[in-house]
Amino acid sequence: MAVGVALLTTLAAMRAGRIRRLALAALALTPVAASSLLINVLLPAGGGGLATAVAALLRLLGTTLPLTLLFATTDAPDLLNDLEARGIGRRAVFVLGAALAAVPRAQARAVDVIEAQRARGLDTEGSWRRRLRGVVPLVTPLIIGSLAEVEDRTLALEVRAFGAPGRRTLLHRPPDSGWQRAARWAMAGLAALGLATRAAAVTGH
Amino acid sequence: MIVLDQASYRYRGTSTWALPPTSLELRPGEVVGVVGANERGKTTLCMVAAGLAPVTIGGELRGRVLIDGRPTVELAGYELAQRCGVLFDNPTVQLTGLHRTVYEEVAFGPCNLGLPVAEVHERTRAALRMLAVEHLAERNPGHLSGGETQLVALAGLLALRPGHLVLDEPTSRLDPDRSLQVADAIARVAEAGVGVLLTEHDEQLVALVSGRVVEL
Repeated sequence: MAVGVALLTTLAAMRAGRIRRLALAALALTPVAASSLLINVLLPAGGGGLATAVAALLRLLGTTLPLTLLFATTDAPDLLNDLEARGIGRRAVFVLGAALAAVPRAQARAVDVIEAQRARGLDTEGSWRRRLRGVVPLVTPLIIGSLAEVEDRTLALEVRAFGAPGRRTLLHRPPDSGWQRAARWAMAGLAALGLATRAAAVTGH
Repeated sequence: MIVLDQASYRYRGTSTWALPPTSLELRPGEVVGVVGANERGKTTLCMVAAGLAPVTIGGELRGRVLIDGRPTVELAGYELAQRCGVLFDNPTVQLTGLHRTVYEEVAFGPCNLGLPVAEVHERTRAALRMLAVEHLAERNPGHLSGGETQLVALAGLLALRPGHLVLDEPTSRLDPDRSLQVADAIARVAEAGVGVLLTEHDEQLVALVSGRVVEL
């Protein structure tokens, strides 16, 4: 099943022109694959053997690659808009959106903090000891600033009437062709079939 | 009209009153400037006048604060938002960061109210037009200058058609040219009949746009 998922994802990525991104995600799993091999093949305590190591890696690929493809091909606003159009509540959608936006925001904030601390004479380069000493003055304002920003953003949402009752107006809905719907149903069917096959194998029927 | 009648306020978990007893009136189309040194309660005054304190952030309010004749403590957050918009000093946190274009960002408020699509478009276009920022409509909100971001945040508030605006040091992060852009926008908003309460360090700017100045 994991092989099937990985193959389908690869085909979809090729069609979407995102195969490079997918390859990078797969490459990022190299350390995990190496440790899995090490534990299962070389260490007596692991004991699973090559087949177990390969199965674990395939499962990992089967979960990582579709998610990578999703975020490589779908803009966050489109995803959120579509979820809302499908009846997910505005708060749940906003929480997901905030989570998706959290990483780039944290990166931007970190750059600001580093620049501010450097301007005050903090040395963030050189030996690892110097770098380590520089971490505390960077992390503290980063965390406090992020917490304060959460509060500010909550207020900002309140003044945009985010708490109003009823459903939000959706200005547009991402296109959803018959072909896409058919593909989704087919994949859901395949997943159900895979689960049933797996359950049958486990119970021995 | 916004009326503060001997209103004082202290934040949750504190014993000191961040806003001493204050009385103030803000009429439609009027710009009232508020000046004062740091820690005199300018930001707290903004929060209290807009009803965010105590409705959203808690704390204790004494005295009365009325918006259009109704006590703020009786209104829900989304009802307050339609009566009084609040612009904070950091415009970047005022934008949701979840929209691809400025147009969608400005439309966020009316969409929250569940208004018909045609009305959302009408309000969004009108807000952008009022601040003369229609040319930004298709831009990415994350790639705007500080002044542009502040104007877009203001447009987002105006799209809710509030009768009043509270602006908490809207130019504190802007250079003089961008500050004048915001000052121009404030004058235009007031001309449209919106009452504006403006706190600022820049006394020249306050004198430029305010019909009345109050010192805290």
